[in-house]
Amino acid sequence: MKIFNLVITVICIAAMMSCTLDKTDYEAELGAVVTDEYEFEEALSLSGNGYQISLEALNGTFFKGYNELRFNITDTATDQVVPNANITFLPVRTDADDVAYSCPHRYELAYEAANDHYLGYAVFDHETAADARWEVFLTITIGDEFFSVQQEITVEPQPNMNLNMTAFTGNDGGQYYIALIAPVSPGVAENELIAGIFRYNQPEVAAGDFPDPSQFSFSKVQNATLLLDPRMPEPSMGNHSSPNNQDLIQGEDGLYHGVVNYTMTGNWTLNFMLQSSYGDVIKGTEVPTDFTPGVEGEKSELHIDILF
Amino acid sequence: MRFSIAVFLLATLKIMGQEQETPLDSVQELKEVQVTATLKKKIETAMKMNVSVDEFLASSDNISFIKRGAYAWEPLLNNMGMERSTITIDGMHIFGACTDKMDPITSYVESNNLAAVDITSGQQGSSNGATIAGSVDLKRKSTPFSMQPNWAGTYQTGFELNNEQFYNQGNMAYSSRNFVAEGSISYRKAENYTDGNDEVVDHSQYQKFNTSVGLAYKTGDLSSVRVDAIFDVAKDVGYPALPMDLWLSRALIASATYKQFFEDGIAKVWDAKVYYNAIEHYMDDTTRPENLVHMDMPGWSTTYGLLSKIHLQKNRLSSEVQLNAYDNLSIAEMRMYPQDRSERTMFAYSWPWVTTQYAGLSVNNSLEVSEQSVVDFGGSLGVNYNHSKYVDFNWIFYPGASQEKTRWLPSLYAGYKHKLDQFDFSIGAGYGHRAPSVSEGYGYYIYNSFDRYDYIGNPDLKNEVSYELNASAGFRSEKFSLGANVNYFYIQDYIIGRILSLGSPMNYQSVGVKGYTSLDYATLFNFSLHSSYAITSDLHWKGTLAYARGMDNDKGNLPFIRPLSYQTSLHFQNGALGIQTTLNGDFEQEHYSPEYGEDLTPAYTILNLSADYSFTLNTYKTVLQVGAENVLNQYYSTYADWGNIPRMGRNFFTSLQINF
Repeated sequence: MKIFNLVITVICIAAMMSCTLDKTDYEAELGAVVTDEYEFEEALSLSGNGYQISLEALNGTFFKGYNELRFNITDTATDQVVPNANITFLPVRTDADDVAYSCPHRYELAYEAANDHYLGYAVFDHETAADARWEVFLTITIGDEFFSVQQEITVEPQPNMNLNMTAFTGNDGGQYYIALIAPVSPGVAENELIAGIFRYNQPEVAAGDFPDPSQFSFSKVQNATLLLDPRMPEPSMGNHSSPNNQDLIQGEDGLYHGVVNYTMTGNWTLNFMLQSSYGDVIKGTEVPTDFTPGVEGEKSELHIDILF
Repeated sequence: MRFSIAVFLLATLKIMGQEQETPLDSVQELKEVQVTATLKKKIETAMKMNVSVDEFLASSDNISFIKRGAYAWEPLLNNMGMERSTITIDGMHIFGACTDKMDPITSYVESNNLAAVDITSGQQGSSNGATIAGSVDLKRKSTPFSMQPNWAGTYQTGFELNNEQFYNQGNMAYSSRNFVAEGSISYRKAENYTDGNDEVVDHSQYQKFNTSVGLAYKTGDLSSVRVDAIFDVAKDVGYPALPMDLWLSRALIASATYKQFFEDGIAKVWDAKVYYNAIEHYMDDTTRPENLVHMDMPGWSTTYGLLSKIHLQKNRLSSEVQLNAYDNLSIAEMRMYPQDRSERTMFAYSWPWVTTQYAGLSVNNSLEVSEQSVVDFGGSLGVNYNHSKYVDFNWIFYPGASQEKTRWLPSLYAGYKHKLDQFDFSIGAGYGHRAPSVSEGYGYYIYNSFDRYDYIGNPDLKNEVSYELNASAGFRSEKFSLGANVNYFYIQDYIIGRILSLGSPMNYQSVGVKGYTSLDYATLFNFSLHSSYAITSDLHWKGTLAYARGMDNDKGNLPFIRPLSYQTSLHFQNGALGIQTTLNGDFEQEHYSPEYGEDLTPAYTILNLSADYSFTLNTYKTVLQVGAENVLNQYYSTYADWGNIPRMGRNFFTSLQINF
């Protein structure tokens, strides 16, 4: 009976012993390069005319790429949130030659009553550099009160390649921007892919006083189609692609929605072809589907690299 | 750690030789009833005393093998793969942890811890779980209680020249009135083998360690408990036909059984078992520098289960009612390393944490209609539940596929056996369902190096449904016997891989993606003819001829169907000396399937010879055997050799068995 008990004990101990190699923690694996812990925090605080203006961005930082922005205005005297103000927002970049540019942005902010804040966005196409700086210009109208504020900001490099952006000149001569908005933290799954597509509106009038918003006007591209072809560029993956992807088409929010399937983690290239509402190709080339093991995958002339 | 404990346990068993046969106690006097089965009694083939489990199974008529190297062959029953048969150890379900089927269950046992293999064809084998092809139940050794304390043991060693295989196996058992302890230990190590052209087949080496313990305790006059464990480790196993080898596979198989006999009433024996097994399997491609991509492919499979079987008998009807339940979790990962190792690795699950739960109740009945005739009938009803934890992987190819799936798996069969003087006949029919396997349902980019496609599972596949007919006829006289078996399967919604127009391969060696899909139907026909003749009282002849044909609904050939094959052997026994020779081979594989990577495999014939001599060595019964396989050193590969890997050339073997 003693041996009996001993063996049962041995079996139980053996059964509880862990495996030789640990299993992968999938959630940690997905979070290895991309954190999905994003929260809106104050990135900028401005004051003027007795009002406090707070600008919130994800993690309190402006990054290259698409930034959703939330503005709050409080009356410093009463500490009350001010609703229904008219706010304009204009980011401007000044380079080493003192030439001013802007980037796709929402000029007139929308008030969201439910959350007591004003919504906007900016697609910063460059990071702050030693010889180039970004400034934001705001004008605020509350009743008959009008004032403006401006402040230099720092645009940090985008740490998450899934929120990358690209800027290019289209075959029609227009200046275009494509910025990834979602998924922030993709999975080996069907991912809803959301991108913003913007175009620079060439000014039709001469520049007025700086900063003249007519010189820095952008709009969302309407009714285009963004053809999608994801690939793994890694040479050993031999131009691997994924099934069941859906091209991006414009949704009610003006952004472009589609589906991208990532079959495994790692480096992926989203190859695009931007097609106008008339079916003309504004930019992008088709990627060969040949299986090319050992060769780095070819990319479309219009593409964004991601990594997760 | 576990290794040393096992060695310690075996070492504590004192070695005491005893020749005398002890009478069996009451528990053993009640005979177990085999309702249906072809029991292979001893784990040794006619040819070879010390065989691997694979070699042993290969000597059975309705088993053939897919071979990816010298180790861990995938058994095919009635020319159907592992998904279509239930392979169990003492009724316990165990599932391999390798997506490439590099570890069939048979690779986790060793010939010296098995007593017999119980092979049942078709739906009659559904008592252990839903099946199409039938069941293979590996029976472990189980020493009976004895009136007087008794020690018994066997030691066996041997060497095979071709692959320098050296093995040592030991068994030890102690039995007394109310207690039995037994253990086995085995170690094999083989180097690369050479083919019939005397060329070395790289990556065909292996090392295997296996040990088992069993303890039984009599809890009453008619009841006993028994705990068993098998621990198996294979290391550095080469798979010449695959682009990777095995670094380590490890299995722990444990069970506790309670057995109760009844003296009166219709219930005769009740057998209840709980079990647990955990399998780990780690592939290794670092031995293959030619590979473009370095990959890790670990797999884990853990199963818990219970089994409760009661045997009933009343008048001429004997029945076996069995409840069977298990829970399995299968996980397989792949991680590819980019050429620039500083870059991010690429990770995916090839089995995305797939749970399978099964519970089934089966009834097997045997009714003696008359002295000459018996009717067997029975059936089972099982419920099979699958859950894929990371169903996102499955949704890539099948958006919106079910994460959970419950299937009902019914099975029915009936057969009639009639004996008329020296003739016997049987006829039977069966109907049964099976659920898709983990790979068929949830596999994700599982590379098949045979047809060079990546395979994708579909969670919403329909059940495979089999309609089966079988018949046999035989004649037996004192000197001569002749028998024929035939069976025919019509399998509706036959699951097989078909090229998908979607996606692109993930493995750089792959040429495309195949998805498991259901064909409308497929048919399979198996026929075998066997005969024996006693030429003199010392000289016996045996012969077998087998034929099979498998076709899909477009009359295309199914893969891995054995061509016409034969085996003929002569056995001479005079006193202590035995000599046997066998000749076996396949005809040309006419009906091959290029779609599944098959090509025409030419005919081959293999001649084997062996001789054994029994003597007593210091009162111990000893058997010495020498022999040669593939005496003519033929260069050949069979229809089921993965990638046409050549089989072993001429191989001399010798083994010595000492019984204490």
